[in-house]
Amino acid sequence: MNEETTGWQEFKKGLILENPLMVLMVGLCAVLAISTRVENGIFMGLSATFVLVFSNIIIASIRKWIPDQIRIPIFIVVIASFVTIVDLSLKAYFPPVYERLGVWIPLIVVNCIILARAEGYAYRNPVWHSFMDGLGMGAGYTVVLLVMSIIRELLGTGQIVLFDKTIISLGPFNPPAIFILFPGAFLTFACLVALLNRYKMRKKK
Amino acid sequence: MNEVYRYFLIFLGALLIYNILLIRFIALCPLMGVSTQVETSIGMAMSVLFVMTMATTVSWVAWNYVLEPLHVGEFLYIPVFILIIAALVQFVEMFIKRSSPPLYRAMGIYLPLITTNCAVLAAATEAVKPGFLKLNIAYHFSLPEALVYTIGVALGFGVVIIVFACIRERLETSPVPHAFRGTPLAFIIAAILSLAFMGFANLLGL
Repeated sequence: MNEETTGWQEFKKGLILENPLMVLMVGLCAVLAISTRVENGIFMGLSATFVLVFSNIIIASIRKWIPDQIRIPIFIVVIASFVTIVDLSLKAYFPPVYERLGVWIPLIVVNCIILARAEGYAYRNPVWHSFMDGLGMGAGYTVVLLVMSIIRELLGTGQIVLFDKTIISLGPFNPPAIFILFPGAFLTFACLVALLNRYKMRKKK
Repeated sequence: MNEVYRYFLIFLGALLIYNILLIRFIALCPLMGVSTQVETSIGMAMSVLFVMTMATTVSWVAWNYVLEPLHVGEFLYIPVFILIIAALVQFVEMFIKRSSPPLYRAMGIYLPLITTNCAVLAAATEAVKPGFLKLNIAYHFSLPEALVYTIGVALGFGVVIIVFACIRERLETSPVPHAFRGTPLAFIIAAILSLAFMGFANLLGL
């Protein structure tokens, strides 16, 4: 097995087999909270992926010098630095998005996925694999986030608006606003997980 | 606005109207993970109340007396707050272990978990750094106001997680469709509870 195929496997693992949201059930909070618009989903997914990839790279490259007892604070400082970069860049270049995402940007620090990957993967694996792992986990996160926000925005408002342009419109009908309200997040996610469970049970039989 | 009324609004807003779990979706991991039994939920709720109050106090002091006078708050607040919380949790754990072993046995397992509990960081950031709070009242909190806000948030967390655990314990034995067993069902319960909490929206103009 050469280097490249294993890298690809690391990537695929995060996307499907060990999808952080649907299978491991960690880091759900942000997904439920900001999936009211596809635009939010894109920015949040990209921010989390950025932090995941870079914190994985840094931690994997300095892992030999990290003393075991204080590794968690070190991880958190590394992660917090990258979150600060995201925080300031979004604030500077996309103020309306920053306004909507609000406290969720600083909360990426405590997003369990990122710490879990740092502790569970990047701390024990070489840089290249950690990079692919971060990319895969980030992609898995972003995909679920996008699915959630597409369902919710489409059903809740009847259209999808991306950067002030209407992309898809369901035509004139009265959309059930519950989907973009709070209960809609829980309902949509419950149905997605139930669907996945059903699919798995079918497969077993 | 009258002083007492203002405190009341902050407290009620944090507790019910902007409930941290059901309306704002912060800290869902403990909600899903810990709420299988009423007893553990109570333990978790108590530990969160304790840590959250202390975290906000220390962060408030750090923000107003260190970060802000030095003009570094804007880009240092994330690492500083999270380190404060991590150090605090460690300290509280050691302190309780020494001073009250029964309490440690009751709270012990939840304490390390609280470091990554987003509710603590969220409450501290919102109560301390201006510009994050969506409540329709204050822009900058004084220390007592920040504390009232934090206690409201923590109690809101506690109430919901305990109610949630009660419902889940009952549903453990009921017949539900196979695909919905476990987490999906928990999310459906959360949806219905959240529907109930939406009834508080716009109460008292918040």
